[in-house]
Amino acid sequence: MQSYKGRFEPTRFADLTVTVDFHCHSACRFCIVQEGMNLYRGVPFERFQQAVDDNRHKPRYRRITFTGGEITLEKKLFEYVAYARERGGFEHIRLQTNGRLLADRAYAERLVEAGVDEFFVSLHGPNPEVQDFISQREGSFDEAWAGLENLHALGVTVLTNTVLITHNVPHLKALVEKVRAVRPTRMEFWNYLPMEDFEDERGLIAPMAELAPALREALAHAEASGIPCAVKYVPRCLLGEHGHCVDNTQPDVVIVEEFYDVYPKFACLWEAKCEHAETCLGLHHPYVHKHGWERELLTPTPRTTPWREPEDGLALGTDDPTRPGDGFEGAPPPPTHHPAWLRLVEGVAEEHGARLATILLDRRRCTYRFEAEGARVDLLLTKRDDGRPALLRTRSFNVAYRHLELGEGGAGKATLAAVIEAAARTLRERDRGDLLLDERKGLVGPEATRRRRRS
Amino acid sequence: MSSPPEKLIALGKKADANAAEAKAAVTKAAAAKHAPAPSFPLARVAPGDRWFDYCLEPYRPRRPPAGKLRAENLLWYSLELAGLLDAARPPLEALQRSLGRDMTVFGVKTDGQRLFWELYLYDPRKEDPRATVAGLRETLAPWLELRPPVRESTPYMMVSFDLDADILARGRVDELNLYLTGTEDHAGRSYVVREDGLELANTYRFLSPKRDIDTVLSLLTSSAFVDYDAAPTTLAEVLIPELFACKKVCVAKKRTHDGVYFSGVDVDQLLWLLRRFPYPPALVAFAERCAPELDHLYFDVGLDLQQGPDGRVAYPKTGFYGTL
Repeated sequence: MQSYKGRFEPTRFADLTVTVDFHCHSACRFCIVQEGMNLYRGVPFERFQQAVDDNRHKPRYRRITFTGGEITLEKKLFEYVAYARERGGFEHIRLQTNGRLLADRAYAERLVEAGVDEFFVSLHGPNPEVQDFISQREGSFDEAWAGLENLHALGVTVLTNTVLITHNVPHLKALVEKVRAVRPTRMEFWNYLPMEDFEDERGLIAPMAELAPALREALAHAEASGIPCAVKYVPRCLLGEHGHCVDNTQPDVVIVEEFYDVYPKFACLWEAKCEHAETCLGLHHPYVHKHGWERELLTPTPRTTPWREPEDGLALGTDDPTRPGDGFEGAPPPPTHHPAWLRLVEGVAEEHGARLATILLDRRRCTYRFEAEGARVDLLLTKRDDGRPALLRTRSFNVAYRHLELGEGGAGKATLAAVIEAAARTLRERDRGDLLLDERKGLVGPEATRRRRRS
Repeated sequence: MSSPPEKLIALGKKADANAAEAKAAVTKAAAAKHAPAPSFPLARVAPGDRWFDYCLEPYRPRRPPAGKLRAENLLWYSLELAGLLDAARPPLEALQRSLGRDMTVFGVKTDGQRLFWELYLYDPRKEDPRATVAGLRETLAPWLELRPPVRESTPYMMVSFDLDADILARGRVDELNLYLTGTEDHAGRSYVVREDGLELANTYRFLSPKRDIDTVLSLLTSSAFVDYDAAPTTLAEVLIPELFACKKVCVAKKRTHDGVYFSGVDVDQLLWLLRRFPYPPALVAFAERCAPELDHLYFDVGLDLQQGPDGRVAYPKTGFYGTL
């Protein structure tokens, strides 16, 4: 079987991010879309409206996030926010911002009044010396900090985002100490992902031997301060007791499709041996080239279940309804809590003495996992494509099955065969064409790319 | 400790040695825009085509293959670039006719100076007399004389021979390679056979890259030619992350260097190899142009390894494989 560890599907079904435009007034050294700033167009307003209208008619996103470039530079931002608030049925409207313009209290208030209730603010250092050096804009720290204080005073949800690079690794604990004052809902630490400078000529990729202990120290300080944290693109085994902070998911992003052509791939020598192989990405390829495989530093947690090569990429972005903090109060819902998708096969398993164990859902696929007599099988829906092999096609989907694992002595084979057959038939009957899966990652085609200037 | 800005400026100025290689690759890609069109009609998938890796083990195509390109186009184009298409095509097509489509494995290789080729014929169960050295000798007789004598009772499961401008010009093959393997372990030895005798050329073993990682690492690092302690990145120069996502790894121990092979890579990984190593820009451009129609295939790639004078891993030879 081909190994697809290199790929992963990061999108979460619950969150939608809209890249409004690519202009920015900072010049962060790690900026992953530095070239894109001049090349990519933002999402056309009409395309944004379409996404919002889709969500009103076929709800799937609970949150919409506006980002850029720097979103607060966008002249039509209030129009975007108003449309999302009035038409989209979102529970939350979030801005991903460098926070500099939020130093203007009146402007911050206007945003809150317009309906923005969450602010995801980038802060890459605990003081001007570090932050301004990274952003290459003098005064950017003071502005962002004033913005954070304004948001805190306004009582809205504040999250911070720190990109981990060589420059700020020594200052992570100090950053947590600084940020405590504005009581963020969460601090996120994203290890730098090269998307242009793959050879790291900018010297941004921090060696794990330095990054990991500094990050652990910061996470411990955050935990002691009651601040939940999320960490992306750092091997879980390096986080010690803070391994639970690893969250490599990303929202669905409405962005130019080719953005993902240069998305780094990941690998880990110990993938088949590690309990966390399905959620931990390991190291990105540019890191391995720069600092090696970290054969000694990475320590796999012994597996308790058999490892299976992730044929279609890691389903990191599966919208897990049992995930804490995703808006469910009280007892978590069952892993099949995707009502519209459950309806397509509801009752089938029980008719045949099997059970539907879970529904794994992301934008590109819906997987139904059936179990019976110690056996299991996945039934997979993908967007209908008559050019691709399929067990059968419904109005909207290609249907296939995979990962058939029989119980002891071949138990469960007949039962699961009957379930697959019945589920496929039922899917064909019940699919009315009102549920969507999408093969694309970015959702926006070449119309969102500016013509390159001739040099 | 220096203040952050000073340290950061120093870090910012630090350039990785790989950068030069990457720039060379970009230059290569740019230069390749003007690659000549092939003189031959492109070979397309036909009903009855089969899908094998370089061990002639079958696989399911990655995408629906109907109407897409066959891997052999890369072979023909590489020969054309070397000016050898007219000389090489008749004997190779004779092989294809004799053994059947997809039953001959080809390798396209470079040592950085020139391209050369290797053809592999499998018959592990001695079922097809045309895949024996005797059969091969007969098929190729109009163009190439196979000089080395081979005792057909030798339990070889594969035979191969090199092809280059000299061999084609002389019309004579002076060396054959015989591959012997056990039935229990997916491992083997190869012997080079000449008119005056036979000697061990290399030993090799196939492994699952992920499941057998401990064995892979043990075999790789038990090396007389590569110092894996030379730098933290040495292992990454051998187990290259872009190629590590593959179906099988083969670790080979040869007379003057080691080898590592990555089997079951897709066309994007093949392109990565072609761009990273010194293949002719026109071949890279041709492969890039064909890539959308080669996405149903798996390829196999291989690297010969030794320690370079700068302490980094050197690659005296690299190659890629497909079926003819």
